[in-house]
Amino acid sequence: MMKKSHAPQLAGLVLVIFFAAFPFFYGANDYPYIMHVIITGFFYAILTSSWAMLAGYGGQFSFGHMGFMAVGAYTTALISHYFYLAPVPTNICTEFPIGGMYLIILDPIGVTSSTLTQDCLHQALDVWKGSVEVTAMPVWLGIAAGTAMGGVFGLLIGLLVLPLRAAYLALFTLGFSEILRAAISAEISITRGQAGIELPSLFQNGITLFGRHFDKTDKLPPYFIMFILLLVCLGVLTWLAKSKFGLFVRAIREDQDAAAALGVNTIRYKVLVFVITSMIAAAAGATMAHYIGIISPNNLVILQMSLIVAMAVIGGVENFFAAAVGAILLEFVLEMLRNSFEIGPIEVDMTVWRLVVFGVLLMLTLRFSPRGLLVPAIDYFARGHVAKETVAKREQVDAVEASEPEAVK
Amino acid sequence: MELAVTNLNKRFGGLHVLKDVSFEITGAELIGLIGPNGAGKTTLTNILDGAIKPNSGTVYLDHHRIDQMAPFEVAKAGLGRTFQVTRSFRRMTVLENLYVPALALDTGHSKAEIHDKAMEVLEFLTIDHLRNEYGQALSGGQQKLLELGRLLMLNPEVIILDEPFAGVHPRLMEIIYRYIERVNDAGTAIILISHQMDSIFSLCKRLLVLNYGDLIADGPPDEVKRNPAVIEAYLGADEEDEGQ
Repeated sequence: MMKKSHAPQLAGLVLVIFFAAFPFFYGANDYPYIMHVIITGFFYAILTSSWAMLAGYGGQFSFGHMGFMAVGAYTTALISHYFYLAPVPTNICTEFPIGGMYLIILDPIGVTSSTLTQDCLHQALDVWKGSVEVTAMPVWLGIAAGTAMGGVFGLLIGLLVLPLRAAYLALFTLGFSEILRAAISAEISITRGQAGIELPSLFQNGITLFGRHFDKTDKLPPYFIMFILLLVCLGVLTWLAKSKFGLFVRAIREDQDAAAALGVNTIRYKVLVFVITSMIAAAAGATMAHYIGIISPNNLVILQMSLIVAMAVIGGVENFFAAAVGAILLEFVLEMLRNSFEIGPIEVDMTVWRLVVFGVLLMLTLRFSPRGLLVPAIDYFARGHVAKETVAKREQVDAVEASEPEAVK
Repeated sequence: MELAVTNLNKRFGGLHVLKDVSFEITGAELIGLIGPNGAGKTTLTNILDGAIKPNSGTVYLDHHRIDQMAPFEVAKAGLGRTFQVTRSFRRMTVLENLYVPALALDTGHSKAEIHDKAMEVLEFLTIDHLRNEYGQALSGGQQKLLELGRLLMLNPEVIILDEPFAGVHPRLMEIIYRYIERVNDAGTAIILISHQMDSIFSLCKRLLVLNYGDLIADGPPDEVKRNPAVIEAYLGADEEDEGQ
């Protein structure tokens, strides 16, 4: 018979089955739109759950998570935009021989390159007149490089924020994110600045699955890519939380000095939690950028980071499953709130007011359920038996003590 | 076990908090470290556990220099401590609190072995019924016991207990007494910091007395009691009170 304490796991399993089956039973006209909303929800769920590990478990209240997301997205964007493989050298681009091929790096010639100046590769292609086949970098390589770069940035920022706690850490990481946004905006010749840089689709030439061909605009492949990425992310976070890593980062959150006095290498685990969560954010960013097809510095504005924090807080920051579910639900609610309506002669423009509704929900959560809306429910099932057990055990001890002769006591 | 503290100095700005402090502990001694507020007891403790570095002087534990080590390295080298203000991991269960030092030691024990040892420690401290409660659900005294339990899991050679009796119910104080005697009998040296002189004099065979950074006395309690410098600096007022 199923125990009450297993209810959260069962609910999780039901949700996984629901989302795995959803694209196959949902057939309304707004299918592409709803699929897009859920894909975006998965994306935010990855960011929110990894931020919950960093802030909720590790106590590292970072505002740099969207920055790490952007590191992943821009890394894969730059790789797909500037790096190519050719069997022969162009002799005009920067290029390096690699395993019988040439790695060609395009000149950073900026936002007007397609109309004003041909980049070096296009000049070479004009000379070759179709006799040489040039290969773009595979998307998966860009995502992998983006994930690794997220880890490198996570390591650097993790080391820099080591002595910082609480508000100082938050301000530092906010500064990092803002500097990154300003740098990307300023380096127009490389990043195309505010215009954003385009990326190839996750499956540029489409993909055939189980005998059915999906072209690059189909929602089903990216839906399952992002869904699997979310499950992998939650799997990794669960494994970490149950290992000594999870125990130590929580101990550091509770009292860093006490943890160190008990033998925990606080520096190692504080940096590690930054590296791991940054890599997860970067992987999500890189994958999402290929799905959307463009990444711009607007993704780093403080509002975006606030959205992650708010989703985590409303779901429950001390449980990354709650944070993930909260993110998907809130993304859905935010989209549904886009529908404007009229009250008599007054038209309520929800494109503006939806964020107000969201803000009010956040304030009410913080005031009346500071641990989030889902965590108390999870705790009710998972830990509801603890108090009863404690009382029963205490009564047992008291009964034994009462039955002992006075001399023994 | 040998702990050798030699010519330890620590300054905070213009304040000379520890002045050439030297002492040695050999074997499973039970030592009281006393002194008025501001004497330098906590600073000495923080230097011994690696939380702060001395300006000069050395600390050796079993011939390994530990004064330049990080706190986690000192803990692994065999020196554990509790804090004056209890610092349990409040949003972790009692059992999880005990798992932290056991897993940090990385001795290769299985989870089941660590769990069994943790349960044994909790039973000894009479808080085994609270094993699945969060640290924050425990009373102040029970949190003191939890801190002591964590040290048992660390299994150190030297333990510094900072005010273990402060604000503790008499029943729990008895448990702490038993704890100190058991741990000491098992071969662990203990440095006991307390303002409760009755406890210090009844438990300790040797006292170190600090006063404004100077180690003004080091010897058996009876001898320390008669030391004029100690009477003037610290015990004098108490003795007078007792006499009245």
